[in-house]
Amino acid sequence: MKVPIRMLGIITSVFWVLLIVFIILAAYSIKDLKFDIDEPEVIFDTNGELIFNLPIVIDNGGYYSLKEFNITTLLSNSEGLEISKANSYIPDIPSQEILTINHNTSLNLNDVFQDNENYLFEDDNLHVLLSVGVNFAEVLPSQISTNFTFPWGAPLSNLSLGTPNISIFNSTHSLVSVLMSYDNHAFYDLVGSIDIGLYNDQNALLDETQELIITPQQTSYTKDIELYVPNSISLDNIQNGYFSIFFSTFFEYGPLVIPFG
Amino acid sequence: MGNQNKNNRDAIIEIVYRILKASLKAILIYVIYVLVSPFIVPITEFIPDFFSSIESFLIIFIALMFLSDLTKDTIFQYFFNTARQIFVIGYLLLSMSEGVMSLSYENLILTVNLTIFYGIALSLSLLGFARSILQAIEYKSRKAEKEISFQSIQKT
Repeated sequence: MKVPIRMLGIITSVFWVLLIVFIILAAYSIKDLKFDIDEPEVIFDTNGELIFNLPIVIDNGGYYSLKEFNITTLLSNSEGLEISKANSYIPDIPSQEILTINHNTSLNLNDVFQDNENYLFEDDNLHVLLSVGVNFAEVLPSQISTNFTFPWGAPLSNLSLGTPNISIFNSTHSLVSVLMSYDNHAFYDLVGSIDIGLYNDQNALLDETQELIITPQQTSYTKDIELYVPNSISLDNIQNGYFSIFFSTFFEYGPLVIPFG
Repeated sequence: MGNQNKNNRDAIIEIVYRILKASLKAILIYVIYVLVSPFIVPITEFIPDFFSSIESFLIIFIALMFLSDLTKDTIFQYFFNTARQIFVIGYLLLSMSEGVMSLSYENLILTVNLTIFYGIALSLSLLGFARSILQAIEYKSRKAEKEISFQSIQKT
């Protein structure tokens, strides 16, 4: 019986030593593991989706490979509703290898503004839940998660149309000019067009026009919009009514109705 | 009378030798801990009472090992060995809870699934426990064999 007991003792000791060596090497490997986040990029794709590209550099200088590496980002609004979710998965990052992952989080602006048009006109905070999961050395599944907020800048902040100014343009038309202004607080340039329709209080279209806009980020847009109404229409008819505005940029939004009079 | 004095002196020498041997072994383990502890310092940033927990574990572990060495070649050696293994198993079971360790630092949450690691450690502790039990059985059977052979010699 002595020999089996001794063998049992030797085997147990060997495995304990192996386990302790593994722990020490794992600790050293974690020390040699480096993560770097490069400058994030904002790209618009052809479908009008805003893409946040986050290049993440992983330098696995440790002794063990990293399996099932995945990054998940979840964007939600201030009410906690999910706006966008993205996941990047790398099945294996071998030891002593440097890898760059482009983690893309896309945001469909049409969906965002249709869900809540306040994002067009009011600045807010978006909540981001970021989680990184990895199966370290194939035996230690780990996950790091964090949440933070980032400011959402409204592309049409402080949008306003002034009081319409009516004047005789020529013998056939009157000129209705209105001052339009907004501040682009977004982190992207606003490029596209605005269609503006002038309606009287009987919902009759009096005139419409299209304005091209190029508003760089963090700048303001101010312009006198000019509409021409035939003189055949009584001036009393255009004292009350509304403007119907349709935005066509990276997103489509409209009609936005702004009454006057 | 002279023989008794010699026996007493031998017993004292044996006890001193055992104490020295057990102390050296305990000191050696503590020195290894002191050498390894700088590597686990970063963990204390996340788990402030990690060191005190490890130290409590080590004190009890070394104390049981010391007592086991001191009571060598008696049944108490196996009692203390078994107690030490049960203590290790209990410590692992208490510290692992569900096998998932979760640490929070500012707004970062780190979750590590230690199920496999704990499973291996627990299996090894169980092997150690089984070994202690087998050693105790072997000791008792050896002692019984000796008594039986002594009685048979006396009869003849």
